[in-house]
Amino acid sequence: MAYTPQYYAGNTSVAQNRRNHMSNNVQKVREISDEDLTACLGHRAPGSDYPSTHPPLAEMGEPDCPVRQMVTPTPGTAAGDRVRYVQWADSMYNAPAVPYWRSYHAAMNHRGVDPGTLSGRQVVEARERDMEAVAKEQMETDMTCPGLAGLRGATVHGHSCRLQEDGVMFDMIDRRRLEGDVIIQDKDQVGVPLDRKVNLGKPMTTAEANKKTTFYRVGNVAYRDDPEAIEWLQKVWELRTVYGYQPK
Amino acid sequence: MVRNASVTKKPIQVEIFPQKVLMPNTAEQLLNGIDKVPGVIRMLIQGPSLPRQVSCGPGTGAPVDHPDRRIINVSGQAFELNVRVGRIQVEIEDRSVKENIRKVAEENLPFPFEFREGFFIRRKATLVDYAKYGFKSKEDESVNLEDTRLLGLVDPKADPKDRICMLESEDE
Repeated sequence: MAYTPQYYAGNTSVAQNRRNHMSNNVQKVREISDEDLTACLGHRAPGSDYPSTHPPLAEMGEPDCPVRQMVTPTPGTAAGDRVRYVQWADSMYNAPAVPYWRSYHAAMNHRGVDPGTLSGRQVVEARERDMEAVAKEQMETDMTCPGLAGLRGATVHGHSCRLQEDGVMFDMIDRRRLEGDVIIQDKDQVGVPLDRKVNLGKPMTTAEANKKTTFYRVGNVAYRDDPEAIEWLQKVWELRTVYGYQPK
Repeated sequence: MVRNASVTKKPIQVEIFPQKVLMPNTAEQLLNGIDKVPGVIRMLIQGPSLPRQVSCGPGTGAPVDHPDRRIINVSGQAFELNVRVGRIQVEIEDRSVKENIRKVAEENLPFPFEFREGFFIRRKATLVDYAKYGFKSKEDESVNLEDTRLLGLVDPKADPKDRICMLESEDE
């Protein structure tokens, strides 16, 4: 019987959502075109070639190395792409993803990525086309609500602010906003205006966000509501602190 | 020493802290409602800034053109709203005005809010105020400011222009 990894303990919806993100059991809920994605990221002009930092590996004549023979390079590495980033801010008001779970999702399901986790934002650095694959997957699936999360390369302020009256996370440089019943983005992730309006789709309703969130939060699912998760947290803490945790 | 000052006639301060940050229309309605309550001395609005241009990162200098950074009218006085209103602090003449302020907030806010009494806007000049405004004279060592209601409304190091709005009440 094939082994199924058990990623996270807990019996609540939040624990299940956390497991879903880690195991990439996420649902595609919207369509973002490659050109729109490139425009939102702002690293190159939509439709242009990927600039490279070195020739393709196949042309470089790599040294005879057993590790290089074992590990297949990612598409971005094989083509010699530059390293570029995508950065997210997720509202603490029950956004579907927590910064740590974006990192887990990227690190467990994609190769050649370097996730960085901060309190209110989460960045993934990778070769450009590998990074775009991660960004596209996270943008198109239910691990992102366009109203409660945003691509924010700079000025990430807003994740811990109260939501606006229209239920959208505050963005001081107005990269995206609610127009009608959909979220429209017309600036790239650092706030430079785009020549297009990118439709990011409908934001989640409050009830839907409460169901999809990976945030433990009083008022929705509090951490204390999940005794199994607490039990495992305490067990890991005890093993690490008292006995010197050595996962093998 | 015991001072038998009347508690009911002492100015107090209250704060309205909405569950969500306010869009300009709601903020405008609420501020107008509060201004119509007799006994309001001064108000302070606070919230995250809506800048004119991007101030950091690779996009520095790009115009923001935030649609919600716009002119609002409070009691016929127009001023540019450069913050997303997150809390409103009001100084009122005495405790009897407090419930009227709460009533205005209930009428104008479509969602719950916290309403509390406390000390939010200072009344006394600080060292920095004295450094900025100086003394009135050699004999009078009070701060050289015609209207002391301005104290605490803006950061002493900030330019008060466009940050303070004087509203004339009808009986003045």
